[in-house]
Order: sequence, then C-alpha cells, then structure tokens
Amino acid sequence: MSEGFLVLRRGGATWAVARPAVQGLARRGAGFEVQLAAGVLSADEVLGVTADLRWLPAGGVLRRFWPEAAHGLGLHDALPVVLIDPLAPPRSLLAVPGAPRKGDPEHGD
Amino acid sequence: MPASPPLNSPPAAPAEPPGRVEATHLLVRAGEYVCALPLGAVRQVLRSLPLHPLPGSAPELRGLAEFAGDPLPVLDLARLARAPQGANPTFPVTVVAWAGPPGARELVGLAADAALDVAYLPPAGIVPAAPGAAGTNPDGGLVAGDAWVGGQVVRVMNLEQLGQGS
Repeated sequence: MSEGFLVLRRGGATWAVARPAVQGLARRGAGFEVQLAAGVLSADEVLGVTADLRWLPAGGVLRRFWPEAAHGLGLHDALPVVLIDPLAPPRSLLAVPGAPRKGDPEHGD
Repeated sequence: MPASPPLNSPPAAPAEPPGRVEATHLLVRAGEYVCALPLGAVRQVLRSLPLHPLPGSAPELRGLAEFAGDPLPVLDLARLARAPQGANPTFPVTVVAWAGPPGARELVGLAADAALDVAYLPPAGIVPAAPGAAGTNPDGGLVAGDAWVGGQVVRVMNLEQLGQGS
C-alpha cells in the first residue's frame, strides 16, 4: 500500500517524492528544504501530501530527452508531476549549500 | 526506498500487423518544414495543450501536459525534424501520437504549427535520410527520409525511434 507522496513545486514544475523517503521538511526563507538520504531538495512551494498519486513509469521518451532518473510521471490536481527517485534526485531540485534563497534576510530582497 | 508500483498502466497501443508498412501519413507544418507522421500512430490533433516545462530537459522536450487524465511529454516537432523555426513558432497545435518501438509504445505530444492534410506516401517514394559521419544517423533515426508531395518536399518521421536512445 502506498504511504503517500509529498508534492512540491520547483522551477515551474511539480514534483513528488514518496513520503517515507522524506527525512525532514523545513522552511528556508520563502521556500522549503526537503531532507532526503541522498541530499537536500529545494522547493518553492509545498503543495501537500497526497495518498493516491496515479503514476506511470517513466517511458523511453522522457529518458531520452531528460537526463535525470525518475520513477515516473503522474498527475496531481491536473498538474503533471515527476515522481522522483529519492536516491537520485534531479540536480535542478538539489539545494545549493549556503546559497541564500529569496526571502532570506541575507538575500537582500 | 523504491516507490510503490504504478496504480495504472498506460493505455494499450493499437496493434500493428506484422510487416505492414504505414503509407498513409498526416502532414503537419513544423517550423519551415512539412512533416509526415504515420497516420496509424496519430491518436488526436488538439489545440496546443498547456505546458509545464521540465528543468534540465533537452530543447526537444517542451514540457509536460495533461491529456485524457494522464501526463504527457510534449516534444517540439520542428526540432525533432531539424527544421528551422518558422516566423511565428507559437505551436498552436499538439498532435498526440504513439511513439516508440512495437511492444513499448507510449503516447507523446508533438507541438506543431498546423495539421495540413492526409497523404499517401508509398515507401518507394521516400528517399532515406542520408547517413552522417561514420555512417551514423544524425537524427537518431527520427527522420526516415524525404518525400515529394504536391510539389514540395516533406520530411517523413519515424516515430518508432522516438523512445529509443539517440
């Protein structure tokens, strides 16, 4: 049985990660950081947790034109969602250590 | 931790009789080229779908969309055909088609400028794409060749190659 998925937004895309893989969730400036065993993800927004994400395994087309590992694609509230592999999260999601985020006091905005 | 198995399976692709060569094609304008897509692979032609870009993707992948309750990768047909972009690349049309080899087909969206016509292109009338350096196909096999239709050159696409490595 699925234990749910954390759904988040980053870079204009929507992402999901299996909830048991999430080790921590913290606010960072105007965004969030999601701690996984493989690293820390940076999120612009957390949309919530969904128990039943319908998803399809990543097909050859996605693998050919997107050089990242993903378990599959799904839909959340009619938004396409990439179900990430928590052991190999996409580089565009990984937080840069020490980098100020929008909303941080040191960001200057 | 592995993710739970998918709750649903992709919709079944239409079966192709073995050995059959698709000769009827949908002609689609993509950039400055007219491309021919095997009609049997075409599921639907729609007004452009709302797209959600995928960070880090190749330029051919315009983004993800929702189609019939499922996620759909949408590709830039002009880029796949190596066509120069047209004067107004707004991609007002999305062709939803089956791609990939038999037995591993999947639905993709092909962003294009217009669906034009249906044409019969006998295999003998298609000039195969020229190999690149060292005999490789510079298009990864996506371009089957060119054909002469109604006084213009048409680029014939091989959608079976889409889901395979370049």
